[in-house]
Amino acid sequence: MIRTKELNLKNGSRIVVIGGGPAGAFFSIFASKLAQDLGRKLDITIYEKKIFDNQGALGCNMCAGVISESLVQSLALEDINLPSSVVQSCVDSYYFHTQNGNIKIKSSRIQQRGIATIFRGGGPKGNAGKDIQSFDEFLLHKAVEHGAKVKHIFIDKINLNDDKPVIYAGERLQNDCDLLVGASGVKANSGKIYEKLGIGYKIPSTIRATQSEIELGSDWIANKFGNSIHIFLLRIPGVKFVSVIPKGRFITVSLLGNEPNVEYIKMFLAHPVMKQMLPQGFKIPDKFCHCFPKINIKGAKNPFADRLVLVGDASSVRLYKDGIGSAYITSKAAAHTAILYGIGKQNFEKHYLPVCKNLDADNLFGKLLFSVNDFVSYTALLSKGYFRTIQQEQADLHKTTHHSDILWDMFTGSRFYKEIFIRTLNPRYILNLLFTITSTSLLDMLSIQPKK
Amino acid sequence: MSEKAFLGKLYNDGDVIVEEGSKSRTMYVIQSGKVKVVKKEGERETTLAFLGEGDVFGEMSLFDASPRSATIIAVGEARVLAIEHEGLLKKIKVDPTLAFNIIKQMSRRIRNLNSKLSTIFRTITDTNDKLKKFNPENIETIQKELQKLYDTFIQMDLHTH
Repeated sequence: MIRTKELNLKNGSRIVVIGGGPAGAFFSIFASKLAQDLGRKLDITIYEKKIFDNQGALGCNMCAGVISESLVQSLALEDINLPSSVVQSCVDSYYFHTQNGNIKIKSSRIQQRGIATIFRGGGPKGNAGKDIQSFDEFLLHKAVEHGAKVKHIFIDKINLNDDKPVIYAGERLQNDCDLLVGASGVKANSGKIYEKLGIGYKIPSTIRATQSEIELGSDWIANKFGNSIHIFLLRIPGVKFVSVIPKGRFITVSLLGNEPNVEYIKMFLAHPVMKQMLPQGFKIPDKFCHCFPKINIKGAKNPFADRLVLVGDASSVRLYKDGIGSAYITSKAAAHTAILYGIGKQNFEKHYLPVCKNLDADNLFGKLLFSVNDFVSYTALLSKGYFRTIQQEQADLHKTTHHSDILWDMFTGSRFYKEIFIRTLNPRYILNLLFTITSTSLLDMLSIQPKK
Repeated sequence: MSEKAFLGKLYNDGDVIVEEGSKSRTMYVIQSGKVKVVKKEGERETTLAFLGEGDVFGEMSLFDASPRSATIIAVGEARVLAIEHEGLLKKIKVDPTLAFNIIKQMSRRIRNLNSKLSTIFRTITDTNDKLKKFNPENIETIQKELQKLYDTFIQMDLHTH
């Protein structure tokens, strides 16, 4: 019988993390913490070309910037409490703008401002204030507190031919290591570096969203947008979905359209429903901070090899939701695999891959749930009753709030999609929903106003 | 404290966050400020501990579903994040290390309690010895020692958080 060589991290082992965003920082934090609990000390170096405190594209990692309720709570338990300089706004509700009116959804479980909105970098380009602290910089600093070193160097070549991974910047040897962690997202250039290694890695499939930051002033935003993330389910040609996220003086408009195009943002801002939310005489600036972030729709293939593991966006991510939460899940799983079980391909296959596969499988349920929600929301005959159920539930959160809880968990990412899907199969829920949809549609057809 | 950027709930000085005897399984993490743990017996109120940023409370009800064992009151402005119990238990099932910090804090409190108990036993023994050799002049000394003991307990909590 051939025994494969066991690869393990020892006291003083060297780890190189490529990418200092949340995935890289989380990996470094959890690897250091667990190693310390086991009485070991690791030598971790994070390579990140960006300085996240910079404004605009120079510091930003292009993301909607929402830390889910679930992740805020997990981070608090990990002793990572988000300071008010990082948190731009605290959210306690989702506000849906539909063709049939508006609905605000709050959690029936805990009434608190439990969702944080953040800027990944130092805020939009041209931001005059100094009151924005980058989330990525904050997290990177946490990794440094746990003993990691940071080098602002762009790594453009990796070599796995020798016994240990070796990294280069501009053909210049930078480091060799016992374990290499790829945490550089889904950028095509960085993805190709790993694809070229011949380990069977394939970068995740992605689509591009369109995103922009618009300054409206904190008083205006507090008054018009409150503590809610606003979801717009309007029939704008070419636009599937728009969310508006309050962030202090700014709003982030995140839009999923047929293609990434800044014109969609302009169309949305000119829509009568959105116009009501903007100051009178608001003119779309000629130039405003915008980007086209990639959204994973399918996980990576083979995100590991001997002495190599890929985490965060470079491996598997929850569909449409909670990208930073996914980075937390995959990075922690990879760090624990490396420390507790080893850094060989078979170790990652046995202990890390199932976590990625669970996320990928869960996304299938997410896809189904969002498809059904989109279909009902955009079908005039059904949507009135659909949203009336939520209105009834939200009137008294102490009673059964089955439908609201399902939507809350879908949009906040508080629960896994599979669990939410199983809840939708509850016969009482189905009957109640069908009854409300049918009765509302009938009353609507007969032009009778339902009793409030 | 900036209104826009506080996560969780903001409590003002003297606000009761958790009431002794109430039934709830929510756990809390202090985001900023300080709270005190108070035990009420009739009219008498005894402060058992002070907790600060990063400390958790309510974790016992999370695991044993019993009524709250003490009252938690805000000391000054305190920002507290509630942790929803069902979600947390599900997360711990998938990732048991998430409970490490809670366990670390619980074991620190058990160590602290052991230390307190040992001081109590020692003081009771000393006081008992002094009462055996009762002399009215000793009463003031005994009172002073008991006060010192109480102050020490409070200090011990302040120093551990």
